[in-house]
Amino acid sequence: MRWWVAVDWIEDLIREGEKSVDEVEVFYVEGTSVSADLKQKKVNLATTSRDCGLGIRTIQTGRIGSSSTNDPDKWRDCLAAAIASGKLSTPLPWGGLPEPVSLPSSPLSFDPALECDPGIARDLVQQMLEGAAGHPADITSGSASLSVSSVTLANSHGIRYESHHSGVSLSLEAIYRQSTGYEFDHSSYLGDVDPRNVGEKAAFFACKSADGKDIPTGDYPVVLSPLAYAELLGNVFVPALNGRSVHSGRSRFATSLGESIADPRIQMYDDPLLPRAGGSTRWDAEGTPTRRIDFIRDGVLQSFAYDLRTAYRYDKKSTGSAVRGGFGGLPAIGHHNFIIDGKREQILDERVMYVHNVVGAHTANPMSGEFSVEISNAFWMEDGSFEEPVRSAMMSGNVFDMHKDIAGMSKESRAVGSLILPSIKINKQRLIGK
Amino acid sequence: MPGTKYYDLRHVTGQVTHIDIDNGVVESAGTSFFNKAVLRVLNRTGWGVIQIDNYTPCTGRKFEDLIESAQKLAGITEEIVELGNVPHGILPVPPMKEDPRSVSIEEKSALLAGIEEAARHPLVTNRRANYIERIEQVHFTDSSANEYSYEMCRSGFNVLAVASRNGNVQMGYEREHTIHGFDLRHRQEYGKKAADIAVALLDASAVKGGKMRAVLDPELAGVFAHEAVGHASEGDLIHEGSSVLKGRTGEKIGNEILTIVDDPSLSEFGFDPVDAEGTAVKRTEIISRGVISAFLHNRESLAAVGNGIAGHARAMPGEPPLVRMSNTFIENGDATEAEIFAECKNGIFLKGSRGGQVDPGRGIFQFNAEYGYLVENGECTKMIRDVSLSGEILSTLHRITLCGNDRKMSPGYCGKGGQSVPVSDGAPHVLLLDAVVGGSGLD
Repeated sequence: MRWWVAVDWIEDLIREGEKSVDEVEVFYVEGTSVSADLKQKKVNLATTSRDCGLGIRTIQTGRIGSSSTNDPDKWRDCLAAAIASGKLSTPLPWGGLPEPVSLPSSPLSFDPALECDPGIARDLVQQMLEGAAGHPADITSGSASLSVSSVTLANSHGIRYESHHSGVSLSLEAIYRQSTGYEFDHSSYLGDVDPRNVGEKAAFFACKSADGKDIPTGDYPVVLSPLAYAELLGNVFVPALNGRSVHSGRSRFATSLGESIADPRIQMYDDPLLPRAGGSTRWDAEGTPTRRIDFIRDGVLQSFAYDLRTAYRYDKKSTGSAVRGGFGGLPAIGHHNFIIDGKREQILDERVMYVHNVVGAHTANPMSGEFSVEISNAFWMEDGSFEEPVRSAMMSGNVFDMHKDIAGMSKESRAVGSLILPSIKINKQRLIGK
Repeated sequence: MPGTKYYDLRHVTGQVTHIDIDNGVVESAGTSFFNKAVLRVLNRTGWGVIQIDNYTPCTGRKFEDLIESAQKLAGITEEIVELGNVPHGILPVPPMKEDPRSVSIEEKSALLAGIEEAARHPLVTNRRANYIERIEQVHFTDSSANEYSYEMCRSGFNVLAVASRNGNVQMGYEREHTIHGFDLRHRQEYGKKAADIAVALLDASAVKGGKMRAVLDPELAGVFAHEAVGHASEGDLIHEGSSVLKGRTGEKIGNEILTIVDDPSLSEFGFDPVDAEGTAVKRTEIISRGVISAFLHNRESLAAVGNGIAGHARAMPGEPPLVRMSNTFIENGDATEAEIFAECKNGIFLKGSRGGQVDPGRGIFQFNAEYGYLVENGECTKMIRDVSLSGEILSTLHRITLCGNDRKMSPGYCGKGGQSVPVSDGAPHVLLLDAVVGGSGLD
């Protein structure tokens, strides 16, 4: 999209920057989105956005400077700010930005049929409402949004990469008496989301959780849904695999490389090349070609995630893990499609406490791993069917230690943000009753 | 414009300066720029909203084209929206003691390094300090010829210390953010405190979960007010039917000593001179002496729900406004800290917070304390590691039985609908009976 238009000023920017610094990197994102938001059962708000972001990095003798703006016409000011910023940063070992390599140009997470059309957003909302209609719950709010964006990366070494991304995202909230239900779905491909299912599940959980009973404090066999598991994993476990956190002493795994840190059936890896997955990309936010990273193989910690600056600093190789937050954000270590896998089995054949969601996972301690959260939409489950709902209880434990006691993984996985994960079973999980 | 009931445009330009120091290394420092606008047009049946990056103010045909596109978009809406009548007006932005723009980034960086350096300790494996300064120029106009412009500067710092011993990793985290100007001078004690807490937590123990008496410090009690009452009183949630406080105006849900307020006009971190819809801001007593008194509203929820005060619409630059809290607090009571501990007798004293979360429809909230102490015979004894509490909106407030007279506000950010806005929470020390504590301790 418009590469030949964009290229002129990007080339000018790089040439101008090279007069003052060793290397220049330009990251430019353009996108549009449309959404329809519900208030109860009616669309109350329709939104379109047109976003753009320019992020510039400059490197001069190991000093990295950066700045960003969403006004690309002001690239000269932004470049000057980046160069000024570089003068403040501490010089670090640096081996250069990547050279260009030949990569397939076919997109991994782009649906050419996805259009940012308000009518489509309205139809998706309508289908969610239809899905919910089979249950007596009231809809409180919901949203359907569609987005497309193009990302351009260019640097002093001749990298000129461009990629296209698309996304569709759905959510619905329902209430039945004093019981709430929430469901969502997202994908890069319009045809991969199931709006009726989102509606059905949100309304089902609201209704099925009504009139829950209290439970006594104790250790329970618990199954965490992918959503509940993702909340704990994403807030605590995943950040501990970040190479910068590891080497600067902010990770519990700092000295655990090669050690068993999880049940031997567990595999965790980043697969940036997974077709149709939301985070898929052939190059990371700095232009390093991406590849699969095995963090945990058979329960043993194998690798951490690195971007260029952390890799050069600690004498490692970039794992192609640089990502950028939002439009024009600076690169930082992250992941593309973080996958939890392992031996899949039937985990719902015995009586277990099923926890669909948790409240307050962001307050877990990211260093020690300790958490205590309120559980939501929790049920005693027998032979895979939702039986007695639990009114309210807290769940406490340690996210790191929990991974040594995982007793099983469900056969199905689902994407929750950039994590792709199954339900997990824990044989003895502390629940605190009211 | 035919068919248009109302429109408003909120244009925000500004710059963000940040410094990140990690174990003595200036990882990054510098300034970025932004320019964002949001145009909202109200049709007979709902809102058409256009979010525009890099907006150039325009008039005449160009502006009319924008209005037209928003109207077209509103064509898919189907709910009749009315707007409440509200007072307009803007408060002066409190003057800054020292404008951060008058301080060079080199000096800021040196001062921040001093705070980070103060977290040095043999058991501290990582020290990290961040400075953030955000200056926004806001310009608001609407179809009723209201027009406001103001500039706000928010700045502050965080310092983190991570202590580690034999695989036990603990953290101390201190922060200070303000609207009153440059605040990095003479703040080294924050670095030392972060380190002292991280190190002390290495010897703290996990608390055993269950019901107990809890004394909450002003910061934690502020988070409690925010999660237990603030969100559930937001008019948009009441309107949607996702708050247990819906239809309960006038109902007594707490003790006489309990008054909870949201006040965007207060000169604290959540201050707004005017709300994001041009409505004048005003102190709103959500709970007055234990009774539900007023909901927080924007113009739409005021018209739909009533029983409250508008002026609580807030937005990130370029985003549509939502009903939000600003400065939320429990009013002072008349108990002294000593009386609160004496009355607690045996329980826990909890301090600090990494925040909380609420499901307002279900009426259940969770909030976290960074650390605390066992209280035995009215005295603080053994240190305990981070724990969380959960509660039920409709019953927990009755269990606040004592409020101190030492209210203090703490700055932070609050997330809702994908938007994060600056807020402050506060309270005096309070006594909470039958607190449900989630801990993994076993003894």
